[in-house]
Amino acid sequence: MKYITTINDKQFEIEIGNDGRVLVNGEPREVDFLPLEASLYSIIMNNQSLQVVVGEGDGMYDLMIRGRRYEGKVLDERAQLMLMRGGLGESDSGEITIRSPMPGLVVAIPVTEGEEIVKGQTVIILESMKMQNELKSPRDGTVQRISVVPGESVEQKKILITIV
Amino acid sequence: MTEQIPSSKINKVLIANRGEIAVRIHRACRDLGILSVAVYSDVDRTALHVRFADEAVHIGAPAPRESYLRMDRIIDAAKKSGADAIHPGYGFLAENADFAQQVADEGLIFIGPTPSAIRTMGDKERARTAVRKHNIPLLPGTDAGLRDEDLIAAVKQIGFPVLVKAVAGGGGKGMRAVHDEAEFASALATARREAESAFGNGDVYVEKLLVGARHIEFQILADQHGNTIHLGERECSIQRRHQKLVEEAPSSFMDDDLRQRMGDMAIAAAQAVDYVNAGTIECMVDKDKNYYFLEMNTRLQVEHPVTELVTGIDLVKEQIRIARGRRMTHTQSFLEPKGWAIECRINAEDPYNGFIPSVGKITTLLTPTGPGVRVDSGVYNGYEVTPYYDSMIAKLIVSGETRSEAILRMRRALEEYTIMGVQHNIPFHINLLNSFSFMAGQIDTNFIEQRFSMDTYEEAPTEAELETAAIAATLYAHRQRQLATQVVTPGKRDASNWKWMGRYERMHR
Repeated sequence: MKYITTINDKQFEIEIGNDGRVLVNGEPREVDFLPLEASLYSIIMNNQSLQVVVGEGDGMYDLMIRGRRYEGKVLDERAQLMLMRGGLGESDSGEITIRSPMPGLVVAIPVTEGEEIVKGQTVIILESMKMQNELKSPRDGTVQRISVVPGESVEQKKILITIV
Repeated sequence: MTEQIPSSKINKVLIANRGEIAVRIHRACRDLGILSVAVYSDVDRTALHVRFADEAVHIGAPAPRESYLRMDRIIDAAKKSGADAIHPGYGFLAENADFAQQVADEGLIFIGPTPSAIRTMGDKERARTAVRKHNIPLLPGTDAGLRDEDLIAAVKQIGFPVLVKAVAGGGGKGMRAVHDEAEFASALATARREAESAFGNGDVYVEKLLVGARHIEFQILADQHGNTIHLGERECSIQRRHQKLVEEAPSSFMDDDLRQRMGDMAIAAAQAVDYVNAGTIECMVDKDKNYYFLEMNTRLQVEHPVTELVTGIDLVKEQIRIARGRRMTHTQSFLEPKGWAIECRINAEDPYNGFIPSVGKITTLLTPTGPGVRVDSGVYNGYEVTPYYDSMIAKLIVSGETRSEAILRMRRALEEYTIMGVQHNIPFHINLLNSFSFMAGQIDTNFIEQRFSMDTYEEAPTEAELETAAIAATLYAHRQRQLATQVVTPGKRDASNWKWMGRYERMHR
């Protein structure tokens, strides 16, 4: 199976054979990859022994190796093809939602519906674990909808604000 | 022990706290042959401090106001369980003079200072007045209880930058640095709001902010026989939003003369309020080694283990000894630390995402061990980190003969530490320890917020490292895909395994 893997914006073409052989950009690599626990793996490669922690979410992979975090995407040939045809294209426009990263209490909402905001602007202040956390807009836009009110307790991943 | 007849009996201690510090205190009790009583809220039924304790008493709902801050229920639990004494830990009721008073009124021993010492040092204004008499240097600042307009007027006199601080504050809550007049009003509002929600008291005052200064504190111990000593300093300049993240003992900035003078000052400050038990004098020290008294913390500190490792003293055992009315083990101050100790606070916070707190179930936990490594933790594999309490889940403390040995050992231990299920700040600590400024000891209280970032200090990964990560991600994805097909296939078969086997064999004949 052939994959196109992107790690921190760098692309690799990786082929994994039915016998488990690994080719990186056509060159063979000797890799011993063993699961230890659900998302904990041990790799021995070129005599280097590494422990790898892998997390997965929204089609992205999150890896922790020797205290360093990597972000990556793994696409197989079919997905890659669909992407090239524009089927899975990403864009910077459209609606984005700001969700609660943790359960907490809405302390303040320093913006109003219809307000024009800039990237990095604080849109909501959420208190959790006794700390006030400022959630910021990931890009320029307009506040379309505010779904919570100050004083409200929110669960993790609750939609707080929609920006267009 | 024949030197002193114990004046107070302590056979059972109620620990009015949770998490790692409750576990820490439990351990000291056990090491002294004393029984421990834990208290717990609804969400802490399976917490480590409850599992380890000899007895455990349920005290209410998860919110601290309904459990760990409920004086009546805690005192009730102590009486019902037959405890002789209460150890408050840090946070919650540790610096609440009313609580200490109520404990004493009920005929129980409060393992800490007297209510009057807590009251004086807890009120920043009275604390400044008390120590000023002893010629202890103070930072310019305002009184408490002022209205916004008066504060604004006073601040113009002091000059920016300034620090807005909650009168009832602690642990960085209700504290804001302000660099010019334009931000002052909004910072004041935030500090008041935070103080109101954290302490039920929105009163704030303003203090001059020293730029490029260090936070250095002295550990004090005082017994009921008139002995007061210091156990040397702790360097706590690595802070983010006034929350300490890394502490060291000793400080690389310290010299013998400064230690002698600051130590004497710390003892004088403690004696100004007739202090008994363990306490900490917090100071700011500027580039020219001028030092200023900030405040006294009238309790055991989070970072007490670094002092323990360079003095060989168990501070919690010593606290209990003092509370029993005995003479403390050492009556001479510690002017020469043995070796070097560093502590990293392990917080459930995402360093790649603005240090936002993270909650969830810990799915993997591999704790570092080996020479010179100590872990004070309140969590275990399968433990659920909840949003109700502090995000600190553990403290990793190492010691070495020298600072460099301690740094290398800390790096090793951080790399061994594997926590999954919640985001945590171990990558932050690794980056920090790799930064040249930290290695050279060139740090001050603004270092993390102004000169450190996860991006700039992290060396760009090499091509080989990226390739390794790519291979790991791909093998993981490939494996997941295979597992998924294996799981799905049997269910989709429309025939029994025997029929399927027959078809398979026919096909491969």
